[in-house]
Amino acid sequence: MLRVGKASVYFAARDGRPVHALDRVSLDIPDGGFVVALGTSGCGKSTLLNAMAGFLPLSSGSITLNGHPVEGPGAERGVVFQKDTLLPWKSVAENVALGLKFVGVGRAERRARALELLRLVGLEDFADAAPYELSGGMRQRVGIARALAPDPAILLMDEPFGALDSMTREQMQELLVAVWARTGKQIFFITHSIEEALFLGTQLIVMSPRPGRIVARYDLDFVKTFARDRDASAVKAAPAFSILREEIRAIVHRTEPIRSAAE
Amino acid sequence: MTDIAATKSPSPSLAEAPRIVKMHSFGIGERSTLAISVATGVALVALWWIVAWTGLVPHLFLPTPVEVVNAAISIYQDGYANASLWEHVGASLTRILTAAAIAVALGVPTGLLMGLSRWAKGVFDTPIEFYWPLPPLAYLPLMIIWLGIGETSKITLLTLAMFAPIALSAQAGVRSVSRERVNAALSLGATRFQLMREIVLPSALPEILTGIRIALGVGWGTLVAAELIAATRGIGYFIMSASQFLATDVVFVGIGIIAACAFAFTLTMRLAERWLVPWKGQS
Repeated sequence: MLRVGKASVYFAARDGRPVHALDRVSLDIPDGGFVVALGTSGCGKSTLLNAMAGFLPLSSGSITLNGHPVEGPGAERGVVFQKDTLLPWKSVAENVALGLKFVGVGRAERRARALELLRLVGLEDFADAAPYELSGGMRQRVGIARALAPDPAILLMDEPFGALDSMTREQMQELLVAVWARTGKQIFFITHSIEEALFLGTQLIVMSPRPGRIVARYDLDFVKTFARDRDASAVKAAPAFSILREEIRAIVHRTEPIRSAAE
Repeated sequence: MTDIAATKSPSPSLAEAPRIVKMHSFGIGERSTLAISVATGVALVALWWIVAWTGLVPHLFLPTPVEVVNAAISIYQDGYANASLWEHVGASLTRILTAAAIAVALGVPTGLLMGLSRWAKGVFDTPIEFYWPLPPLAYLPLMIIWLGIGETSKITLLTLAMFAPIALSAQAGVRSVSRERVNAALSLGATRFQLMREIVLPSALPEILTGIRIALGVGWGTLVAAELIAATRGIGYFIMSASQFLATDVVFVGIGIIAACAFAFTLTMRLAERWLVPWKGQS
């Protein structure tokens, strides 16, 4: 379980004044939990993810994974970035196996494990392709396989589907749910799409900007329904889904103008 | 619905072939410039030949192309200035290749360090920025006084001339490594050394290769100039002795050899780039 306790982050603005990016955020991601953070840009969700990944130290508060404090980046927390960060000089399979290479796994075993993961994301036929030969959606699938390779306890996903077209995006969401159901990993997922958040999360947190904080939490079960029945349109057409979507839309839109009027 | 049905029917699938169009290109476009370049070369040789043949320029200053070729053949067979042609070319190539190897071996790690460590940048910046703008011939006399007239002084001079562009380009290469790529590797458990070998060095490789190309250009200029001043073998010396006898045709042969060698180097570097960084410009 990943536990965030009263995490606050202050950055220095260009003129040196402190900017309050994250305000006492507390959050538990249970084993097998799929937590989605939703919010407009600047609400601190990426800041929170960077702190969880260990790229960014906290100004105050704590982050622990299974009781051990997070002090820097590590292979027990896999990260999938918005922009694909595959290495162009390595083949798809070598990219997936990169984390295994870092811990000293032998060549043959790396290859076998990479092929297994590529099968999981449906790309076993592209093992020897170069990353730049793949489409955006395929590259993000490679990114997911790569993050899974060192067998992390949690996957941190920073708007991984943000740059994809809407049709590819829906396919990727379904694929991610299948991967989640198969591997049982904890997932922390950032998005600014309400529908995506509702469809994917077992828990949804809504964040608001200046300072970044959590303004609403929901426990959801749409993703479990989908994982069981494999019928995405039925899930999204359910009345409960659209009611919740409008409710959350109201929260997201309310946070913005109220804050800007108060300042 | 009726609108859609109506717009569907007309299509240009008649007997005549369609006119293929594409966006107007800007700049030189994508068609090869090889034919134009070859034609220009032929025209220049023809011009040279006409000027020499008609005696527009005195024969002493401008030999005809045939004479230059004849001179090349006789030098190839008999040698020139107490050494065979291969000894001259070999001496020059040995110097530049030895210096290039040393400059790469020292310059790449230095540049990478300068890109990664504040201390390394602080320490190396001062001497490099001080000596790099100096013309190498300005400190050749010092090299000769310190290291003697032999190979050591020339190879040291060339190494110094080639070191700076390589180190500076490696440093620029490190700066071009994206933050996300580094973070991705760290979150996959890379150690500092693995980060360097698997991410930073390959990311910086295109810049490093560009730096080596620039260094080789600087190297040729410095080499020939150094050989003009202090050598008994080498293409620079070859040209120098020919000029003392006003043997213009031999000077032309020497210049041709330098051009051919430099061209071969450029070609090799291009092939190396294609082989080492096939992803350049792809992502």
